[in-house]
Amino acid sequence: MSQVLSKIFQSMNAAVFVRLDEQDFQLLTLPPIWLSQFCSKDLVTGEQIRLEGLFPFLDCFLQEAEDLWDSKVSSAHRSGPWIDFTPNGEEIPLEAMALRRDDKALLVIQDLGEEYYNEVVRLQGYRNGALSQEELEREIEEQTKQIRIREEEIAMKLLSAASHRDHETAEHVRRIGLYAEVMAEALGWDVAARADIRIAAPMHDIGKIGIPDRILLKPGKLTEEEFEEMKQHSAIGADMLSGTDIPLLEMASEIAMCHHEKWDGTGYPTGLSGKDIPESARITTIVDVYDALVHKRVYKEACTEGSALEVMQQMVGKHFDPELYEVFVTNLEKMREIKENYSDPGLG
Amino acid sequence: MVQKKICLLGAFAVGKTSLVMRYVNSIFGEKYYTTVGVKIDKKQLVSNDQEVTLMIWDLAGQDDLTRLRTSYLRGVAGYVIVADGTRPFSLNTAINMHKEAREYTGDVPFIVAINKADLREEQWRVEAEQIKALEDDGAIIILTSAKTGEGVEETFQLLTKSILEAESRNKQLHDNENTQ
Repeated sequence: MSQVLSKIFQSMNAAVFVRLDEQDFQLLTLPPIWLSQFCSKDLVTGEQIRLEGLFPFLDCFLQEAEDLWDSKVSSAHRSGPWIDFTPNGEEIPLEAMALRRDDKALLVIQDLGEEYYNEVVRLQGYRNGALSQEELEREIEEQTKQIRIREEEIAMKLLSAASHRDHETAEHVRRIGLYAEVMAEALGWDVAARADIRIAAPMHDIGKIGIPDRILLKPGKLTEEEFEEMKQHSAIGADMLSGTDIPLLEMASEIAMCHHEKWDGTGYPTGLSGKDIPESARITTIVDVYDALVHKRVYKEACTEGSALEVMQQMVGKHFDPELYEVFVTNLEKMREIKENYSDPGLG
Repeated sequence: MVQKKICLLGAFAVGKTSLVMRYVNSIFGEKYYTTVGVKIDKKQLVSNDQEVTLMIWDLAGQDDLTRLRTSYLRGVAGYVIVADGTRPFSLNTAINMHKEAREYTGDVPFIVAINKADLREEQWRVEAEQIKALEDDGAIIILTSAKTGEGVEETFQLLTKSILEAESRNKQLHDNENTQ
C-alpha cells in the first residue's frame, strides 16, 4: 500500500486488511491504537491476523463480506456501525467495509469516533422530537375520545327526553346505535363513521317531536289522514338535523329522512329504492325492526328471536336490503349480546 | 459452554437498551439515550442445567430513519421483540418487525416483552386486539419493567430455555430422520 494511502487510513483511524483465506487476514496499514487494544499483542504492518472471534459483530458481517468478495463486484459493502468494548471497558464505535480492488478482497475497519457521536446527537434530537409528537397525538386522541363520549352522552339524554313522549326508552335509543355500529364495523366502515352512526341512528325518529299528541299517542289504528301526517316525522327530523357541516348530523339527517324508505321503492317519504337509499338508513331500518320485534311494547308482547327472524326474512328484498340483512344475520350473536346488556328495566 | 446469539428488536425508545442494562449490569437510568447501530453484550446463565453464554445484540430502534437490517439476524437462536406499553404505536411496530424477522430467521423462539410495566396503572395503552394478533402468532408475552426489574430475568431465562428446548427437539428430529 502506498504511503499516501496508508497515511489517509491512519488519519481515518482505520485498519485495512487483505483477505488471505477464509480465516486469515493480513494487516496492510499501520495498526490503529484501538485495534491493539482488542488484540492480546502489539501488531505490526504486514502481520497475519485471525479476526474470527475478535469482534462478535464482525463474525456476522464477514459472512456477508464473503458473498461480496465471491461476487467480484467492485462496489463496497458497509456493515453499519456497532459498538464494541475494549478489555478495559472503553466503548469504541466501529464500522467495517468490504470491497474488492485489483482482485484483492479488502476489509476496512474504522473507529468512527466523533462522526458516530455526531450521528447519535442528530438521531437523538430527531427521536426526542418524534416522541414529543407521539405524545401530543396521543393527548389529542384522548381528548377527542372524551369529547365524543360527552357528545354521545348529551345526544342520548336529549333523545331519551324526546322519545319519552311516545314511551320509547333510553335503552332502546342506545341499542339502536350499538346494533348499527356492529353493522357498520362488519361492513368495514372507518372508525369515525362507525362512531357517527352509533349516535346518528338513534335519532331516526326525532321528527316525532313535531307530530301532535292526538296522533302520536293515539291508541289503535290511524286514519289515512292521520297516517299521512305521521309520515311527516321523517322530513321534520331531517329538517331539524340539516343545515350543518357536521358529518354526524349530516348522517343523522339522512337516516331520519330515509329510515322508512323500502328496498323495493314502496316506502316514504320519496319512494327511493335499492342503493339510492343511503346505507346508513338501510342499516337503521333493519336494526330498528329487529329491536321493535324482540322487545315488549305497551301494545304488544315481545317476539322470540326465532319468530322475529321469520318475520324479518319475509321483509328481505321488499323492505330490507338483502345483502345488509345477510350481514345482520351473520352478526346476530353480537346483536343478541347488545339486546341482553341493554335491556329495558321491567320489560321483556 | 454453549454460546447463543439473541437479538432485541423494536421501535425506538421502547427500552431495549435499558432491558439489557438491567439484565446484564443490574442498572437503570431514567434518561433516554438512543442506540445507533448495534451494541453487543454478554451474559452467562444456567438453563436446564446447562451453562449458556448469551450474546445479546441490542439493535437500534426502528423509526422513519432506521429500518431493521435483517442481516444482523444471521445466526440468531432467538429474539425478544420489545414494545412500550404506554405507546400503542410501538406495539404495531413490534408486530410488523416480528413478521419481518420471521421471514429471515424462520421458526426460532421469540418472546414479546411489553416494557414500562411500572406505568401500567396510569398510562397503559395496550389494546386487546394487538395482544391477540401476537398471541395468534404463538407469542409468549411478558410484561417487563427495566426500571423495577419486573419480568426482565424471566424474559431472558424463558427465551434461553425455549432455545435449548427447540434445539433439542430439532436434534431429536434429525436423529430420527437419520435412523429411518
